[in-house]
Amino acid sequence: MSDGPAVRRVAKLTDIWKSYGAVPVLKGVSLTLQAGEVHALLGGNGAGKSSLMKIMSGVIPANSGAIEINGEALAHASPAAAQELGLYLVPQEAHILPNQSVLENISLGLTASPRALRSRIEQLVSELSVSLDLDAQAATLEIAERQIVEVLRGLVRDARVLILDEPTSALTPFETSALFQRVRKLQAQGVGIFFISHKLREIREICSRISVLRDGVIVLSGALDGYSDAQIIDAMSRVQITEMPGKDRTARKISQIGKPRLSVRGLSGEGFRNISLDVRAGEILGLAGVVGAGRTEFAETLFGLRPQMTGSVVFDGADLKRRSPRVCIDHGLVYLPEDRQQHGLFLEAPLFWNVSSYLVHRLPFFLRPGAERKSFNQFRSSMGIKCADPGQEARSLSGGNQQKVLLAKCLSVRPKVLILDEPTRGVDVAARNDIYDLIRKLAADGVAIVLISSDFDEIEQLADRVEVMAFGQSGGELTDNISVDSIARLAFGASEARHA
Amino acid sequence: MLDFLARNRVATLLVVLVLTYVAIGAAAPGYLSGATASVVVSNSLVLMLISLGTMIVILTRNIDVSSGSVLGLSAAVLGLSLDAGVSLPLAIAFCLLTGAAAGAFNGLMVAYLGIPSIVATLGTLGLYRGIMLVLTGGRWIEDLPQNLKALAGNLGFGFSALTVVVLVLMVLVWLGLRKTHFGRYFYAVGDNREAAHHLGVPVKRVQFTAFIVTGICAALAGLVFAAQIGFIPNQAGNGIELKAIAVNVLGGVSLLGGTGSVAGVAAAVIFITSIDSALVFLKIPAYWNDFIAGAILLSVLLLDGRIRQIVDRRIRARRYAVHERSPAPSAETTKTQAVEAGR
Repeated sequence: MSDGPAVRRVAKLTDIWKSYGAVPVLKGVSLTLQAGEVHALLGGNGAGKSSLMKIMSGVIPANSGAIEINGEALAHASPAAAQELGLYLVPQEAHILPNQSVLENISLGLTASPRALRSRIEQLVSELSVSLDLDAQAATLEIAERQIVEVLRGLVRDARVLILDEPTSALTPFETSALFQRVRKLQAQGVGIFFISHKLREIREICSRISVLRDGVIVLSGALDGYSDAQIIDAMSRVQITEMPGKDRTARKISQIGKPRLSVRGLSGEGFRNISLDVRAGEILGLAGVVGAGRTEFAETLFGLRPQMTGSVVFDGADLKRRSPRVCIDHGLVYLPEDRQQHGLFLEAPLFWNVSSYLVHRLPFFLRPGAERKSFNQFRSSMGIKCADPGQEARSLSGGNQQKVLLAKCLSVRPKVLILDEPTRGVDVAARNDIYDLIRKLAADGVAIVLISSDFDEIEQLADRVEVMAFGQSGGELTDNISVDSIARLAFGASEARHA
Repeated sequence: MLDFLARNRVATLLVVLVLTYVAIGAAAPGYLSGATASVVVSNSLVLMLISLGTMIVILTRNIDVSSGSVLGLSAAVLGLSLDAGVSLPLAIAFCLLTGAAAGAFNGLMVAYLGIPSIVATLGTLGLYRGIMLVLTGGRWIEDLPQNLKALAGNLGFGFSALTVVVLVLMVLVWLGLRKTHFGRYFYAVGDNREAAHHLGVPVKRVQFTAFIVTGICAALAGLVFAAQIGFIPNQAGNGIELKAIAVNVLGGVSLLGGTGSVAGVAAAVIFITSIDSALVFLKIPAYWNDFIAGAILLSVLLLDGRIRQIVDRRIRARRYAVHERSPAPSAETTKTQAVEAGR
């Protein structure tokens, strides 16, 4: 920690303690942020990052400790007071007022009227090189657009301290790079930024300092260049990450070419058209593309959630014409939804209910919770779900564990074809590796997997073959030489040309 | 046309209202007259005030079912003060203060003590009625002074002083909700409480304020009630809170909070009151009133729901249709990109 007197300090946390009930979450955390610094903050799920940031932004009070923003103390926990002092937290899950317009959403809480702010917001939108209809009702926004609304809220407030909590988790690489350019500009203006992310590559790209939280204490802090990826991950999880398998991809592929489990021919529906693909048993098919390319709509149409217009879906030789989620489940075609909070889990329900929820129609009339608990416990030990009790509410688990529960729910069906939509969104590095291992293991057991992901690294690591979608159409196929660059070129080469 | 109706509950209501008027006018010539209008307006005042207050609370995603009792209690305070020889302006002040205090107590429980609003106001629904009965000793308050009753008298153009007060209040609420930045907060808190808190909106203060405003509106309703009827029975305002909630729903106020307008509520109140007066005019026995009012409420909501569905489907179709058209030019580039990548 070199506190150069010339550099101005914009935020300082001193000895923050916080516990929920008897459980301590933060045990004496101190952090400083200089003007013009992008400070990476890492930590596994449950390490206390979110609590720390919420305390700093006044959303929740600390038990003890001092917060200083722009040289002034944050006397009491209130978001309004923190914003007054020049701090804005861009949360991971965007806070949207669904019935208001986008413009009102962005300008809420500011004294200036929405109309007065309009031109400035329009300018920011174009600087971020995104398209956003300011008069649309916010309920119609997609996840990525919601996140952009949050980022805009931070920008329009002229904050001196910005906290970006996983701002890129729903953004496309293109939007991410536009955001990073904006971050660099802010940095040059002397804004201090806390940057929370699980993607080390992004952190390397944009951050200069790093602090790692584990179990409520800072275990590593200093200039980012001083640490290797392995050191950082090690400090974060204390779990030794084995060298990624997946180089044996080609070897496995040759041994496992079978007849297609699922073939889709010329499927058109809401947001996509004329998509054809085959998945074979034991194959991981990456379905890449940028947000809004129609991949989720395609998956939802396959699973019978949306109406299809034309095309056919052949599953194990049988034509699946009238698809509904139940028909698909009974055939063994299972979909893991992108938004685990909204479409995936029953957050208030016990974990074992969640896991058996795809099979509710097959449960006996009088339920046997004992059997359901037992089946949950099997998944719990095989997948390493960290929880206190099968009867615990799903809401109380961390993001990574929630995602594992969601996967367990899909696996309880014993799927033959598994469609995974962004299976590692908002999941920390350790849990992500668990999920990767699991996906590989499933494929090895003969499950055909369609992996939808906007994280091209993830596709590169896992997929045997890649289909790319762009603008709702097939953008091309990659069988060998799968790399981030080649995927990106297919997925948004055209969109780059359009933006430029 | 459909788009317009879907986005505009007020317009739907007005269309239905006009159709109803035409039908009634055809069936019973003489109904459509200035006299009827005057009667409808003055009959609607109490319900208008209660509905307006209830709307503000509903906007913040709470509910207030105690306003009927607040009406009764503040009317009783008004009557008792007048009986005790207090001057009219001072008695009115007491009445409004009672309403504000009752609203503040509701607000305290909901906003600061975290009691769900339905539970809290169900409790005070009984409590306030009980206090009223204790105060009056279970007796009706009669012989109200003439100067109070005069408030309900015709000023010469079909409106009473009270009508003017209510109209002014409506304009004030409309201005407050639409044109001020604190007014926006009511919508924000009801739309997404967590987001509002996060953006620095004083969520608790907004909810507290909403309940106080509702209390004052109910007290004003009590004043109107006493002035129009001329005496205060024990059951004054009994059940009106549910009618007010129905009016809000009819007027396009979402019970989930965050949407609604003064114009919608006003149109709905006029609509409901017109139906009541039309039934009287058509000499339909009074016991049909509730049945017909309920049936009409349901049909308007059904119609509205259908229109919304149709429009939603159209928006979806249009959204994806744009999608179908736009890739046409970029399809070539995608193809060339694919070829490049293949090399």
